[in-house]
Amino acid sequence: MDIISQLQEQVNLMAQLTFNTIGTLQRDAPPNRLSPNYPEPPPHPTEDGANFAEQAKQMSTALVKAAKQFDALVEALPISEGDEEAQVKRIAELQAENDIIGQELQKQLEAAEKELNQVRELFSQASDNCLNLKKPE
Amino acid sequence: MSTSAFPPPPPYYRLYKNYSQDPNSAPEPPPPIEGTYVCFGATYTTSDTLPSLEEQGVRQLYPKGANVDFKKELKSLNRDLQLHILELADILIERPSQYARRIEEISTVFKNLHHLLNALRPHQARSTLIRILELQILNRKRAVEDIKRRREEAQGILNESLAILDGH
Repeated sequence: MDIISQLQEQVNLMAQLTFNTIGTLQRDAPPNRLSPNYPEPPPHPTEDGANFAEQAKQMSTALVKAAKQFDALVEALPISEGDEEAQVKRIAELQAENDIIGQELQKQLEAAEKELNQVRELFSQASDNCLNLKKPE
Repeated sequence: MSTSAFPPPPPYYRLYKNYSQDPNSAPEPPPPIEGTYVCFGATYTTSDTLPSLEEQGVRQLYPKGANVDFKKELKSLNRDLQLHILELADILIERPSQYARRIEEISTVFKNLHHLLNALRPHQARSTLIRILELQILNRKRAVEDIKRRREEAQGILNESLAILDGH
């Protein structure tokens, strides 16, 4: 896949990871202690606790990894500065060169065709002569 | 204007009754459309340019100007995005009711990212064209060399056969 499509895929992947991370954290976060007056909220058994911290860590690692990969892809972009006129000029140059070579190719082709016809002509004459000179049995 | 679910085909076929005898008796095909046209109730335009961000009502975060340094801007937008995500996480802890603005900013960053990437496409198209032209030139050169070589070979064989025949 070309690099710009890869970059676009990477951006979409980062958006997806962002949504998943924030959404999961928001949905699964254990209740937080609001004020020193009230007692600790009862710890919710199963799923939360260590698992939750693990999940948060894994998701943020994935997000950072995706961001690093995006940077690497951007680095690999084969682009240079000030480009549009330079590119258009190069295209015009290449077209002119292409035309010249095309004409030469055409010339060579015509000459080769002519020689081919000459050889065919000579060959048919030679074979006619051979056939005519053949002694009848 | 009322449209039916299964309209009949347009009746223009009657104009072409004598087409096989006299091609000029029938009308010319319609000329290509220029500008905007309406198709199935939606308006389309014939010029396919990327609409700028302002036209889509999105704030543009990277500097405007003739030549944007794509790599630099893409990297700084990426960093910006990470910072915004961190801000969102923080504000969900401190003041959870103010998430909307952060989310809006994150979506602006994403829209800018995609717009920059789309702006790279014409550049990519031109590079592809350059590459194709170079390959074509290479192929034509090779074909010219090939033809020259074969003509010389054929000439050589003819001369050789001439020499052999003359030898008799």
